[in-house]
Amino acid sequence: MTPDSPTRRVLAAGTVVLFSVTWVVGAVGQEGTASTRRAGAPEDGQWTMPAKDYAATRYSGLSEITVANAAQLRPVWTFSTGVLGGHEGQPLVVNNTMYVVTPWPNVLYAFDLTKEGYPLHWKYRPDVSPAAVGIACCDAVNRGAAYADGKIVYNLLDGHTVAVDAVTGQEIWKTKIADLDLGETVTMAPLVIGNKVIVGPSGGEFGIQGWVKALDLETGRILWTGYNAGPDSQMLVSADTFEPFYDTGTEVGITTWAGDTWKLAGVPVWGWISYDPELDLLYYGTGNAAPYNPDQRLGDNKWATSVMARRPSDGALIWAYQFTPHESWDYDSNAEMILVDLTIDGQRRKVLVHFDKNGLAYTIDRATGEVLVAEAFVPVNWSTGVDLATGIPQVDSTKLTGASRGNVENICPSLEGGTSPASPASFSPRTKLFYVSTNNFCMSWEASQAAYIVGTPYIGASIPYHAGEGGHLGAFIAWDAASGRKVWEIREKYPVWSGSVVTAGDVVFYGTLDGWFKAADATSGEVLYKFKIGSGVVGAPISYTGPDGKQYLAVYAGIGGDWFLVAGDVRSDDPADVRPPADFMPDLARHTSQGGIVWIFALN
Amino acid sequence: MALPIVVLMAAASCGPSDADSAAAASAQVTDRVFAGGVAPEGKGLENPFKDDAQSVVQGERLFGAMNCDGCHGGGALGFVGPSLVDGRWRYGGADGSVFRSIQSGRPQGMPAFSVILPEDAIWKIVSYLRAQPVPEGVPTESWRTTE
Repeated sequence: MTPDSPTRRVLAAGTVVLFSVTWVVGAVGQEGTASTRRAGAPEDGQWTMPAKDYAATRYSGLSEITVANAAQLRPVWTFSTGVLGGHEGQPLVVNNTMYVVTPWPNVLYAFDLTKEGYPLHWKYRPDVSPAAVGIACCDAVNRGAAYADGKIVYNLLDGHTVAVDAVTGQEIWKTKIADLDLGETVTMAPLVIGNKVIVGPSGGEFGIQGWVKALDLETGRILWTGYNAGPDSQMLVSADTFEPFYDTGTEVGITTWAGDTWKLAGVPVWGWISYDPELDLLYYGTGNAAPYNPDQRLGDNKWATSVMARRPSDGALIWAYQFTPHESWDYDSNAEMILVDLTIDGQRRKVLVHFDKNGLAYTIDRATGEVLVAEAFVPVNWSTGVDLATGIPQVDSTKLTGASRGNVENICPSLEGGTSPASPASFSPRTKLFYVSTNNFCMSWEASQAAYIVGTPYIGASIPYHAGEGGHLGAFIAWDAASGRKVWEIREKYPVWSGSVVTAGDVVFYGTLDGWFKAADATSGEVLYKFKIGSGVVGAPISYTGPDGKQYLAVYAGIGGDWFLVAGDVRSDDPADVRPPADFMPDLARHTSQGGIVWIFALN
Repeated sequence: MALPIVVLMAAASCGPSDADSAAAASAQVTDRVFAGGVAPEGKGLENPFKDDAQSVVQGERLFGAMNCDGCHGGGALGFVGPSLVDGRWRYGGADGSVFRSIQSGRPQGMPAFSVILPEDAIWKIVSYLRAQPVPEGVPTESWRTTE
């Protein structure tokens, strides 16, 4: 199988349930301003939220670029960000201005799209501590900004959230939300819900006690903090409001952790937030439990590796579901929760769809937390499936890790995940398919006793990777979340770590780790166009309408993230840090090196 | 080590008061101040465990126990922090310079381990790192084949 050729696969459906997908329609609540635009609203050609809409679909209603003409795409503009870290996330386009946040030192650029060459309106350069670079587990990345009420809001690596005037570039407020001294950094993209900015920390490798906070959009004041582990009072759990579908009892944020290990739970929030205005619930996934040696935290470790549904007004936890109890493989669940409505057995269900690092794709009733579908979207061997009656995965006990279990070999997928939360999926209401970047690695896991030293990594495991079946290290796939079935895949030589955007022209766009930006037929997976954009892609493309009325695509080049760590030979910036290639991926550096570049494409 | 540098810079920029002069003299700073303000700290410090094979073994254990490998990778091959076994050093590769990096920390997130490690333990980590062989052929990574 050559890397570009699509393969159609029809998998034997384990669960024969017929679904039909309908688009989330009908808005409730906020006015249809840019800041509160939601799924189903008319396409305005802008990109004001990290994942396009509250439902996190990354679907663009623009249709000038089609399957028929995508081969005529051409790059029309580039800009070096001057920063070498991994360029994750995506730009925003608001009022004919493009906003770009760089990795540390978190420069914010505002480009005037109305003028030739897109000169800057301004650039904002916050004072971000260099110490944060070494506290961030996995490269000094940033996953983007959100626009609301005339403000660009985003997070700084050293634990601050800032609001910047979208017109003038002046800082409006800056709030310390995280404690660098405890190993907390911030890389996630905030979401603005009404007058609240929702944020969370990275630091699952540093033994933090993870949380989400809501800040006042006007002042930056912290309105509430809800922890992801710990006493019910800290998690904002009360018997009146907390109603998980699978009953868990009370104080599970303590009782599912041996001793007081919940205090060093990890459970970070480094991915994405989504929001359903009708149910008035926000959704996010939590990360790994700390440390990586699970012997040191016996129990289910709630709510690590879980989806959390909270009420935005006060943060109350309404329901939660744990994907991977007693998480033993760094299977963070920080990947996005994509909100769509499905008809199941003739019954309309409001669901969220989530592609977990653990290799399973979940379709969950987002009102109640009931798991409706859970099927593997990549090869999985730690589990044989999920019991839908209990929501509990059946675990192959030979794949459990821990210092007492020695070196556990050939666990699939690897801790890079079946997909990375850094590479968010997209959903088209036209094809009714989800588009997902995937990795094809397995791993061995040798845990050891980890010592907690504040501000240093709290890990305790050695974890080499190897290629999964087929030899290709990644694939870009189309997934039917109703049946839990892969529809097509484009195999790639390297892990696929970009996000994607799918459009009303039925074209889906993604990037590869060796630096190709690709357009594919969203129905068939046929690659329609590709262009080498200067560095590996770990960001997420967007589509928008320019001042001239044309449809554009924008995407970052700039390899980094985990590939800054484990493929260290792609670096060229430090004469005092020279590494051999990764044994599982010996030639990536032949095709890419670091470098942050913003690219814009349009039809010829 | 930071103190003498601060004194020198203050003396250079503001003109010395008598007190400053006295402090500068008593500090007996011999290191040069490089452009960029980075001094080769630790010059002249001797590793008391030099040539002690046991200290290498103990240092390797400490490298794991102190979570050094969490940033610098297993075998110090490099991870989010730089490789320490490539024969290249940001802040000097002499025993004393490596000692100071561990003891006092460095700007991009390297903690100051003097808070929790006695000097002997730091020296043993230095022994471990300095005992690692420097790989040959590192400067050139080649994919050229003999087709």
